[in-house]
Amino acid sequence: MKERILQTLRDLAAYALSKNVEAAFFYHEEDSFLMRCANSSISLNTNEHLIRLEITAFEDRKRASYEMITGLSKLDEMKQGVDSAAEMVKHAQPLNYQPTVPVYTETYIDESCFDPALAGISNEERLEYFNQAVAGLETDEIKLSGIFSSGVNTIAQITTRSEHIQYFKGSDAQVNVVLSHGTLKWEVIAEQSAQKKAELRPSALRRNLAFLLERYQHDTPQQLPLGRYDIVFGSAAIGDLLDMMNDIGFGGGSMKRGFSFIAEDQVGRQVFSNKFNLTDDPTRLETFPFKRDFMGMPREPFPIFENGVFKSFTWLQDDADEFGVAPTGHTVMHKSLVLGCGDKEGATLEELVLLPRENDLLYIPFLHYMNIVNPSKGLITASSRFGALLLKKDGSVVVPYNVRITQSLPDIFGDRLAWLSQVQAVYNTSMSYGGRNPTSIVVPAFLQVNDLEISHSNSTY
Amino acid sequence: MIKKIQKQIEHLKAAGASYVDARWYPVEETNHLVMWNGNLKTAASSRESGVGIRVLYKGAWGFSASSDVGNLGALFEKALDNARVAAERVTVPIRLAGKESIQASFNSPNRIDPFSVPLTEKIAFLKELDEKLNRPGVDQRVCEMIFMRKQIIYLDSEGSEIEKNIIEVFPSMQVMGLDSRGESHSRKFSPPLSGATRGWETLDPHLFSENAGRIVREMNQVLVAEACPKGVRSVILLPGIMYLQTHETIGHALELDRILGYELAYAGGSFVKLSDFGSLAYGSPKLTARADATLPNSPGSFGYDDDGVPAQDNLLIDKGLLVGAITSRQMVEEANARAGKTIFSNSSGANRATAFYRVPIERMTNINIDPGSDGTLDDIVKSTEKGIILDGDKSWSIGSNREQFHFATDIGWLVEDGNITNVVKNSTYKGETVTFYNSLSSVGDQSTWEVRCVDSCGKGQPNQIMQLGHGVPVCRFDNVTIGE
Repeated sequence: MKERILQTLRDLAAYALSKNVEAAFFYHEEDSFLMRCANSSISLNTNEHLIRLEITAFEDRKRASYEMITGLSKLDEMKQGVDSAAEMVKHAQPLNYQPTVPVYTETYIDESCFDPALAGISNEERLEYFNQAVAGLETDEIKLSGIFSSGVNTIAQITTRSEHIQYFKGSDAQVNVVLSHGTLKWEVIAEQSAQKKAELRPSALRRNLAFLLERYQHDTPQQLPLGRYDIVFGSAAIGDLLDMMNDIGFGGGSMKRGFSFIAEDQVGRQVFSNKFNLTDDPTRLETFPFKRDFMGMPREPFPIFENGVFKSFTWLQDDADEFGVAPTGHTVMHKSLVLGCGDKEGATLEELVLLPRENDLLYIPFLHYMNIVNPSKGLITASSRFGALLLKKDGSVVVPYNVRITQSLPDIFGDRLAWLSQVQAVYNTSMSYGGRNPTSIVVPAFLQVNDLEISHSNSTY
Repeated sequence: MIKKIQKQIEHLKAAGASYVDARWYPVEETNHLVMWNGNLKTAASSRESGVGIRVLYKGAWGFSASSDVGNLGALFEKALDNARVAAERVTVPIRLAGKESIQASFNSPNRIDPFSVPLTEKIAFLKELDEKLNRPGVDQRVCEMIFMRKQIIYLDSEGSEIEKNIIEVFPSMQVMGLDSRGESHSRKFSPPLSGATRGWETLDPHLFSENAGRIVREMNQVLVAEACPKGVRSVILLPGIMYLQTHETIGHALELDRILGYELAYAGGSFVKLSDFGSLAYGSPKLTARADATLPNSPGSFGYDDDGVPAQDNLLIDKGLLVGAITSRQMVEEANARAGKTIFSNSSGANRATAFYRVPIERMTNINIDPGSDGTLDDIVKSTEKGIILDGDKSWSIGSNREQFHFATDIGWLVEDGNITNVVKNSTYKGETVTFYNSLSSVGDQSTWEVRCVDSCGKGQPNQIMQLGHGVPVCRFDNVTIGE
């Protein structure tokens, strides 16, 4: 199949050249499977096999693209796509900068993220995973929800500038298992991300669910008073905060357009706590990395924050072209963000709860519906969800109703950052609007931020 | 092709499927143009075709989709296989509410197909807008047009055959500027829907020209404005934010699949319980909301949903009382069974999929608030002692059961003793859904009522985006916390 893909792209590039069309081709093939549960049944079991081809035509400073869902047997249809892109670019308007056409200087094949065992996982195995993850935990009131999403992604690129091709193939799985109360409307969650079948661990999810379930089923929930709390964020919350920072923090294009809380002159300056180390690290397979960007640049670990000092903005090629800066190898579908560890022991929720503490700690594992209130200040708002706990300093544990926090990222990751875990976790942030794009962030299992205000506190679930 | 699909449907029925449907998209096209600071950053078109198969077997769904229709038999078999496995974990077998077998077609009303308009003409339109926005104070200017065209042929094992041809046009423009502290502020414009059609002809250059001047002027006012005060005031929501308030806290909250827990692993649930229908005072008596899929010019109108159920106009909230939901054939049956009584007499025709390769789920149609009898915006302002007028959707965040929310808007105008005083920046408001709607104290008349489009409502796993509309008047809510 790989050779057929490569040959098809070569044929298309040759066709474009024969028509005097300057073009870049982006081939995306997904074989996606999703088993979705709700109310303790499988509510949907689906698979989609889709091949997308994006053709970008260039004519000096003009650029236009044409995308199609197609099939490898439809070469004539794809050639018509080339004709369409070529016709569009004739009528496009010139940019006020010169867009870069990728030039691949060598053929690059990367299948290091592909695991045949995960790619071949069966419907029955997905179902068995769910059964093991919630074994003995469901009742008439406690219902299973969740997804087991897995698939294979193949990306291949060629341009008319050279005969060389870039080819990436990877496998991935994203699992989340939710147990919810049918009438009280609370939910607890356990999740995992996998790049290999051997990484699937339904027993670990079951342990986490059982621990949370014990509290949510038997403890009396409380409405927390508004005020300031020392908050421990779980890996999902940390991952979502970093994802937001990716949008309104260190992207060079966002900064230039006034959509970032980090100013151009803050490179080299202390922005966050000296405990904060963030790297874009494509050597971490857990992040489903791209080791070359789509312009052909090799990607190596790229420090973004070191000891809280901001090291560099990341630049997409198009932004780099527009603003006249050097690209940084970040023209990819997703980065490979890794937040460095700290020195706090405790890798699981059970261990966190058992750690001695001087103050009450509000544990927030998941931030729901985060949005940007003010990008220039890095101000975000979100609600807690899925199994928050108030860990009292006397060692007891209270189940709180959900709360809202409206805080700036500099406040969260600045001087109030108390500690980060020694152990890292992988949080899968994949979304599947459009083509499959498996994405994960590696973060400490927990981190604590002191003295953060909660601005709303629910009186019920 | 239709005959081949019908043959496969019959084959699966013979193999034990209790229900089968297929959505064949001979063609779906989009055209997306973005001009940013005069640069045509995006000039993109797309085209796709394919078929999606949904099979009900022993009370469980299976789904399969492909752009390759060369081996339909294998595709249908795969959908049945998926359903067979799903049937191994069924607690309550799925049943579908009854419907008529329908042979029909729907064509969205258009005078000019946007795909027949030359690219140069579209770019000229954007360029003219861009030049109008290129004024002092404006740091970033973005003009965008999205065009969609879908041909969908729906067939099911109950004998329905429906063809839909739908065209949508989504234009918008936005300006951004930096205040003296380097903070970014924006103002945007998307035209409300008017007239009876939804093609290229709806792009009114005069309307865009007038509003280009307005949004630049208002953004410059925001750049030098004081910050929104913290406190409790009446909030007067203009349609540019009222549409989103309605979307997030009435529309999503009343999707029956959310209410029944089918989105708990992802988008969340709803505070609404089945026992609330007919009894919950969702809002004050001034609140009447409906799901109206019959507005001719809105993307929330599509003729027939992807269950093959005709579009309808249904009450959701009647003078404050919760009476209806956004429903599909499956969820109606399940809700009635769980409640032990008939809450919903039939599907409201709101089951839609974003593409051939996604399964239909409950989606909003046009979730509207009826106009009221409290006069014009001026009338509402004059009767407001201490308030703030808010417009422009800057940020929105909603609790997982849609029970509480926090919104930020592009602009605010303070109101003191019935008069508009000054513009404020960084305006926000928050509240709890039921408390908020019960504080609804004024609803503007027809002169304030506008239909706003949503071009990308996200929901579901695998994720889907959907297009819909909201017809809303100016509304005033009392005792609302602002400025946080």
